[in-house]
Amino acid sequence: MTCREASPLLPLFFDGELDPRQMRAVAMHSTRCENCERELRQLERLQELVSTTIYNAVDEIDFSEFPAGVVARLGPVHRPWWKRARRRWEDQELPWPQLVPAFAAAAAVAILALFLFTRAPQPLNSQPGASQVATVDNTTSIDSLDADVDSVAVLNDPETSTTVVWVSDDAASSEATP
Amino acid sequence: MRLLRPLALGTLVAALSVPRALFAEGLAQITSGPTVANAVEVHIGAVLASNTGQEFDQRLASMHRQFNSLFPYSSYRLVKEQRQQVPWGGRVGFDIPGGWYVVVIPKECKDDRVSMKVMVLEGARPIVDTVLSLRNHGTFLVGGPRDANGVLILSIGADRLH
Repeated sequence: MTCREASPLLPLFFDGELDPRQMRAVAMHSTRCENCERELRQLERLQELVSTTIYNAVDEIDFSEFPAGVVARLGPVHRPWWKRARRRWEDQELPWPQLVPAFAAAAAVAILALFLFTRAPQPLNSQPGASQVATVDNTTSIDSLDADVDSVAVLNDPETSTTVVWVSDDAASSEATP
Repeated sequence: MRLLRPLALGTLVAALSVPRALFAEGLAQITSGPTVANAVEVHIGAVLASNTGQEFDQRLASMHRQFNSLFPYSSYRLVKEQRQQVPWGGRVGFDIPGGWYVVVIPKECKDDRVSMKVMVLEGARPIVDTVLSLRNHGTFLVGGPRDANGVLILSIGADRLH
């Protein structure tokens, strides 16, 4: 490595920011090159000077009231109940045998919730295999009705909100008419 | 151990917080297969009512009160149930035992009411031709077609699909 190659790398070498191969090359060069060695020493002195200046400046600042000021501005911390519960749960170092009932209870509640939720009230007649009208509002309004039969009746059962269109095609069937 | 505790808590919270509707809708999707967007599912059940015996089909349990208060029969048996998805304005037909045929044409859903045209045919002869509107998920009944073993009662309903 020549001085021309090493010179721009010296600040990086000083800060330890070169890769291992370059670090070795610059280090080897600086042991043999007076100019580069001198430059490195100047960098050391510059760093010492900066550090000393900063430390002196910091020492002049009075931090005695800083912690109390921070605490005063923080105020009381309110954690939600679930965070407090979780914290308490995590802080307890309980052995496994004591935790088993807790896990079992949690699993039972989860299964129960799942069971209840999956049995949520659906539109009853959306369930295959059963035509259901009991809990659904079946109120029907008929806009028009044509029938090619002897008689037709429209029944509205207010109790069950159910509408029936009843057709009968002969006199005999009238016995069966509701 | 520290991992398991939050996991158990998370499972519990998740199980409790998942909306019921989500479960119900998910199950409905699973049980009814793929859905047609912007459409309606029409379902029809054919019930054979008669005074022979005292049978009440358990699949009709939820209609027990309606049948008992509306009709004078002692026996009710679900002989066929079908459901089909159809786009609005489309036409869907159902074969009914006894040579009957039901055509349903859903028109629109407005204010949560489904309006549709329903035709009940005996062969090529239209027995009933009606335009009506019923509450989404509601059902109405058409009764009277006579079968060799009794009287047919048709429950016709519509569920709007999202």
